[in-house]
Amino acid sequence: MEDFEELRRLLLGREQEQIRDLNSRIEDKERRVRDVSVVLPHAVKLSLERNGELDRALQPSVENSLRIAIQKKPEIFVEAFHPIIGPIVRRSIAESLRGLLQSLNQTLENTFSWQGLKWRFEALRTGKSFGEIVLLRSMVYRVEQIFLIHRETSLSLLYVARDPTASKDSDMVAGMLSAIQDFARDSFEAGADAVLEEFRVGELEVWIAPGRHAYLAAVIRGSAPRDLRLALQETIESVHILKGAELAQFEGDSAVFESVRPELEACLRAQYQPAASSQSRQIKAWLALAGTATLLLSIAWMAWKSDGRWRDFLQRLNAEPGLAVTANKHNWFLKSRVEGLRDPLAVDAAPLAVAAGLDPARLIFQWKEYLALDPVSVRRRFEKRFSVPAGSKVTLKNGVVEIAGTAPFEWIEQLRREALFVPGISALSERDLTLLYDPARVLEKFQAAFPLPAGVVADFNSGSLALSGRAPYEWVAAVREGAKRIPGVTAISEKELEVVFDPARVLSRFEARFGLPESVSASVEEGILILSGEASHAWLARVRPAATQIAGISAIREQSLVDLDEQTFRQSKSVIETALIYFLPNKENFATEGFVALSRLPDEIRRLQTAAKRVGATIGIEIRGSADAVGSEAKNIDLSERRAKAVFDFLVSCGLDAAMFKPLGLGAALVPGEKAAPEQANRRVAFRVVSPPSSVAP
Amino acid sequence: MIQKKICMIGTSGVGKTSLVARFVSSIFSDKYLTTVGVKIDKKVLTVDGTNVTLVLWDLAGDDDFQRLQLSYLRGTAGYILVADGTRQITLDQLLDIQARVMEAVGPVPFVLALNKADLQTQWEIGKERIEQLTAQGWHILLTSAKTGAGVEEAFSDLSRMLLAPKP
Ligand SMILES: Nc1nc2c(ncn2[C@@H]2O[C@H](COP(=O)(O)OP(=O)(O)OP(=O)(O)O)[C@@H](O)[C@H]2O)c(=O)[nH]1
Ligand SMILES: [Mg+2]
Repeated sequence: MEDFEELRRLLLGREQEQIRDLNSRIEDKERRVRDVSVVLPHAVKLSLERNGELDRALQPSVENSLRIAIQKKPEIFVEAFHPIIGPIVRRSIAESLRGLLQSLNQTLENTFSWQGLKWRFEALRTGKSFGEIVLLRSMVYRVEQIFLIHRETSLSLLYVARDPTASKDSDMVAGMLSAIQDFARDSFEAGADAVLEEFRVGELEVWIAPGRHAYLAAVIRGSAPRDLRLALQETIESVHILKGAELAQFEGDSAVFESVRPELEACLRAQYQPAASSQSRQIKAWLALAGTATLLLSIAWMAWKSDGRWRDFLQRLNAEPGLAVTANKHNWFLKSRVEGLRDPLAVDAAPLAVAAGLDPARLIFQWKEYLALDPVSVRRRFEKRFSVPAGSKVTLKNGVVEIAGTAPFEWIEQLRREALFVPGISALSERDLTLLYDPARVLEKFQAAFPLPAGVVADFNSGSLALSGRAPYEWVAAVREGAKRIPGVTAISEKELEVVFDPARVLSRFEARFGLPESVSASVEEGILILSGEASHAWLARVRPAATQIAGISAIREQSLVDLDEQTFRQSKSVIETALIYFLPNKENFATEGFVALSRLPDEIRRLQTAAKRVGATIGIEIRGSADAVGSEAKNIDLSERRAKAVFDFLVSCGLDAAMFKPLGLGAALVPGEKAAPEQANRRVAFRVVSPPSSVAP
Repeated sequence: MIQKKICMIGTSGVGKTSLVARFVSSIFSDKYLTTVGVKIDKKVLTVDGTNVTLVLWDLAGDDDFQRLQLSYLRGTAGYILVADGTRQITLDQLLDIQARVMEAVGPVPFVLALNKADLQTQWEIGKERIEQLTAQGWHILLTSAKTGAGVEEAFSDLSRMLLAPKP
């Protein structure tokens, strides 16, 4: 048996090995799998090359496994599809936008078609003008709003709009715009820097121009050209250049960005389509116009009536002083509007509407205040400001207010002060106007200007101010000087008034006028000026005639008052007239004592001359020569003449004026009244001061 | 005028939208309309004499259907965490969310509003829990969008924290 086994081993050993190996290959599942994995790719490839049978065979199970896989782990697929879904969605949106634009453009061209009528209806419905609707509809594009939005915080930095009243809350819009972007970015897993560049909301398109810290969002109506995007991009760049630091450090205070408003406003662009004109369209247009015309005509007569009332109403309004209609819109369905200017004192417009047969409740007035310059309004304004007193007659012509009749002074005073401030009044004229003064007010003013001294009573009656009692002169003087400047005072009566003088004041007034030489002492007693001491003639000459002109001085009394110049004059005169110049017997030669006397004379004569000038006298000096009784009469006359001539020559040689002297030869005759002198005594020359000097030449 | 962005954060149905509605327009509705994505509102508030415009981002509640969109938090000056006091679990979940928020926006000021304070009988959140969070430095308020209690304070407290000079 063993041998058999051995034989078998020898004969079949190799095959047996192979069979076991094959067996194990079939039995070992793992190994089989490994083997199939090697041949499967080839097999699949081969099968694909043939007829796709494999695909068909696999389809159900692949579908099934995909379904299971998606149910179990959707994330994997979402992740896998993300990169392609984004672009697909975007492309599809762009496609439909383009389609929308196309159809919009077509409808825009049919201005006078069914569309045109629809617009007319829309205009009627919305209250906008037809032109506005056409404008809106035939507009190529118009940038309506621009937001400058901070990227980091999504807060609105600045907002500009074409129509500021249409603005929604820009802070919230800014937030929503950012949220939309975040949403889009997250949903399509675009990079952090990717931006949603544009999207459409109803009729509006929103374009985003991104910047590093902030972005612009432009809300556009219509379809804007590409270069608008360029403009937006440039704007956001310049905003970054201008406000880079502020943007980077933004903490919530957006006031600093106000300065880039002009840049943003420059982006509020618009473009309108030029009115198209083509043959067929014109025909259509005419048809449409004709139709409309018939329609209009048929309504016209209905409108006519209501329009007439409206015109009447407008006429009434415009005829009313202080009302000026600048614009009006008569609506049949909506409320009618009247815009214009209204003086604050003009009458209410509602009663006018009633008078014209209109219902005021169906009217909207929009008045702007203004100052009307028509006579009635000016007069109303004048009368409101200055209530015209009874008795005054006011006429107003070409801006000149004329006042006649009687009027209280205070009222006129207010007029003079304020009348020209009233718009529409250019001048004030008072004609035949009697002013009424309230005595109490006049007295009040008088007392304010001149406080009454104790004991004085003032009274005012028809223009005259009556004063009574005792009043110091100074007060009275001030009153006399100034009281008539008080409005209403035309005269001052002092009948009952006693004026009291204060001697010291009188004296000081005297001194102020004339001055008081140190050598003079002055006092005032009971109105009399008492002077004593010494004074120059000139001073006295001024004082004597004029002192009584000083109020409070009625007379002058001079108590041993010396006129210094007159005194000098008299003294000199007597010195000269007592001087005797003696001569040698029978000669015209001076005796010794005569010469001594003579030598003193020139100074004395000069003193006399000065004093004479001061006291205002003109003088001459007679040089009277005489001789003793010895000798003949004729010889004595000659001798005495020669003696007088000798003295004359001497005096003239001393520089005295020759015209002043008159040499006389008296002979031996005695001067009448002169006592007889010893013989010797008659050989002499004497002097006499005369005034005026003798006209006879020497 | 100072503007500040503020986010409302919390799981679904805790009353974030209701709190904003109460604060901004003084209204409350029993109807529950879950927020999708984000809703933005604003209100001007005067805090210690300063006017501040709060731009409020009411985010969709974080739940199985919507994850919290962290990108909406970008640039927020502060946030209000909202939990529903009648559901303990909303607070637990909120703590997880807060950690994520903190990671995204850094240490900006926030307050925690335990909402629906009017529902006393159903209240679930214990005192110890509140004390423990307060100890961590959290500022916690009991609010009710229904009665309005605590709502104004929650926003003005947060604003005051925003306006306080940074250390
Ligand atoms: N009684 C009561 N009910 C409240 C209060 N606040 C909210 N609710 C109610 O709770 C429900 C959910 O409120 P929402 O404000 O919509 O909650 P939410 O947090 O915004 O929810 P999501 O938008 O889904 O995240 C609503 O039915 C509200 O009426 C509250 O203070 N008291
Ligand atoms: Mg909500």
